[in-house]
Amino acid sequence: MSDNKAKRLLETAEKLRWDVGSTFHEGVVESIYSDAAHIADRAVNQKEKRSYFDLDRTIDRLVTSRFFGFPLMVLMLTVVFWMTISGANVPSSMLATLLLDNLYPLLKTGASTIGLPWWLDGLLIDGIYLAMGWVISVMLPPMAIFFPLFTLLEDLGYLPRVAFNLDNMFRRSGAHGKQALSMAMGWGCNAAGVIATRIIDSPRERLIAIITNNFALCNGRWPTQILVATVFIGALVPAHLAGIISALAVVIIALLGIVLTFVVSWGLSRTVLKGEVSTFSMELPPYRPPRILQTIYTSIIDRTLPVLWRAVLWAVPAGALIWTSSNVLIGDLSVAEHIVEYLNPFGILIGLNGVILLAYILAIPANEIIIPTILMLTVLSSRMDSFGAGAGVMFELDSLEGSLAVFQAGGWTLLTAVNLMLFSLIHNPCSTTIHTIYKETGSVKWTLISSLLPVAMGLTITFFVAQIWRLLGGVG
Amino acid sequence: MSNPILALTYASLLLATSFILFRPDGGLFWQWRRQSHLTHRVLSEDALKHIYKNELINNMTTLDSVTGAIGISGNQAAILLHEMAKHGLLKLEGTEFKLTKRGRVSALHILRAHRLWEHYLAEQTGFIESEWHERAELHEHNMTLDEIDSLSNSLGNPTHDPHGDPIPTSSGDLVYHGGIPLSNQEIGQRLHIVHLEDEPKTLYSQLVALGLHPGMEIQVLEIGQHFVRIWAAGDEHVIAPLLASNISVVPVSEPDLDDMDESKRLSNLDIGQSCRVMRISRQCRGLERRRLLDLGVLPGTVIKAEMRSPSGDPTAYRIREALIGLRQDQASMISVVPL
Repeated sequence: MSDNKAKRLLETAEKLRWDVGSTFHEGVVESIYSDAAHIADRAVNQKEKRSYFDLDRTIDRLVTSRFFGFPLMVLMLTVVFWMTISGANVPSSMLATLLLDNLYPLLKTGASTIGLPWWLDGLLIDGIYLAMGWVISVMLPPMAIFFPLFTLLEDLGYLPRVAFNLDNMFRRSGAHGKQALSMAMGWGCNAAGVIATRIIDSPRERLIAIITNNFALCNGRWPTQILVATVFIGALVPAHLAGIISALAVVIIALLGIVLTFVVSWGLSRTVLKGEVSTFSMELPPYRPPRILQTIYTSIIDRTLPVLWRAVLWAVPAGALIWTSSNVLIGDLSVAEHIVEYLNPFGILIGLNGVILLAYILAIPANEIIIPTILMLTVLSSRMDSFGAGAGVMFELDSLEGSLAVFQAGGWTLLTAVNLMLFSLIHNPCSTTIHTIYKETGSVKWTLISSLLPVAMGLTITFFVAQIWRLLGGVG
Repeated sequence: MSNPILALTYASLLLATSFILFRPDGGLFWQWRRQSHLTHRVLSEDALKHIYKNELINNMTTLDSVTGAIGISGNQAAILLHEMAKHGLLKLEGTEFKLTKRGRVSALHILRAHRLWEHYLAEQTGFIESEWHERAELHEHNMTLDEIDSLSNSLGNPTHDPHGDPIPTSSGDLVYHGGIPLSNQEIGQRLHIVHLEDEPKTLYSQLVALGLHPGMEIQVLEIGQHFVRIWAAGDEHVIAPLLASNISVVPVSEPDLDDMDESKRLSNLDIGQSCRVMRISRQCRGLERRRLLDLGVLPGTVIKAEMRSPSGDPTAYRIREALIGLRQDQASMISVVPL
């Protein structure tokens, strides 16, 4: 073809492009789809009318009904949590016995036999190994129970109905109903919750889901909440009510997390992530009998192990930092004590203390080691020699009375406990989650916002709680 | 221990100050930052666009009109225009500024970037309609010619922006939509909207709120002194003449009887009722439209409303044997005939 001809052809094409108008593409697409539908209708035989009683429809009417829809969701959630928390207790303590009570002394003996210098032994075994062991024993069992349960509900087809039920509330706060699913996943682990936001198509709504995922109280934070609630809040009421009241306190914190999810989504969608609420268009698949073994296998391979692996990797620097900061001395005091003293006035101002703040900085890699770190730092900075195993060695106490004694020696009051529970809910995500957020968004800006916004909120809220508490004459 | 009343007062003051400074809409800090971003280049590009648009509708461009259009003082505008004339972008004829050939080419590039951005925002992001224009204004100045071309390519070289304005091609060709303002139309004639003016924002938001969009069919019912009564989207609307003059229309070429009856929407369907799809509104575009097509919502498809969420919205519909949840505002984009 000569150049001239080609040029004329291109010109004609260009002119036609303007003539056919802007809706031309959509028209073509629509007719392609229509043709496809016609062909499918002709070629595909459909079974005649289904049976008179339709099981799927009956279940659907029940789980999305006005009266049973929401109570059923709450019930289902409670059962999942109950199974996770109570089911994880036994394997958790077995792992702790193995890794912390048996293997740890063995390693220590081994180290002294081969004559490892005290600082290397401390850094590697007391610092890094203990942090890793702790993370594994606290994190693995609940995740190995929660994720398969969650995946079973997903497989069964129930979770899409939850999104369907809750969509209206998320829509009003400018988010997507599927955020209900990533939030529920966040209760298992925020890093997994952040990955789960991939199901949300709109980038804006996905960012909202990522930023607010931290308000879903993750497995790593439940033990802290339960311990503090039992020791301080349960102690306020007669013994026979203690259990139920402290459980209630933890539930209130978790519910506050849900409320904050909606409030912060609402705020974000009206400010930095302003935009149109996108569409729902979600399929509600037919109910299927779950394939239990396959589900357990895939959820452990796809969800539990990668998250655990990342957490273990992050425990390495955390353990090293914790040990080093409490063993490197400047003058008479260790670095950790200097920092605790420095942070203490601010900590007291917001109803916490320097130890708690430092613990939250050191334990950014894993929320699981917050309580051991707090205990160790409290003993270190208040010079209680009767507890613990030395500077930089994290420990936990078997008896609640023991924990209470350490906390009280650290100057804790009821206010400290309440604010610790609040701060444990509202603070920066752990480094595993931050790492995941960065990988998912690919943006430093959004990673910073998701990390700093909750801390700022947590500090503000604990500050106001503390000041109002003191204004009303509370001790603290 | 500090005094709680004092601490609370200080903290409240701190919060109030940071709110004033960093409030996401119009916080002083952001305002200051936006001001400092208004570089010379941005201002001159905005001026080019303004003059170009004026020439298109045969309006005079004066110092005052530039001052008003890009929001700077008369003094600054005079300096700016002088600079631009020195660079050969425009020339002064009497009190009127005109673009030189070079100026027109530059103006078309900015316009192209702006409209491509609007197209992108409309089709592929979840930003609200009244935000498209402002966001495109932010992005249009930071693009090289190559970037503009690759944006155009990735969008499939669209010909029109979401308001119905033509997008200039890379060689600077563009075909004007040829619409006439709605305020000058005969009563009863059936018209297609070809363009909605997106400036100023307040008027455009009102048009959007009425559910008007390019490609839609409307009819003028009555033109009074202070109002225009129209039939659109299956409903009657009374609008101000100023608003009507921001809508450009052309007569419908081939009457399409189904078009006028958009009154029955999928969203009005009761639970258990079935219907046949007629069409998806033009307002539903881009990914959203494609998603509905993917799900099999095509003219002729039979849809049954199965159940409603306990919170009232969304509703689940049986579409081609699959159960699909759609929100109310999505379902209202689909006009149907109840069966």
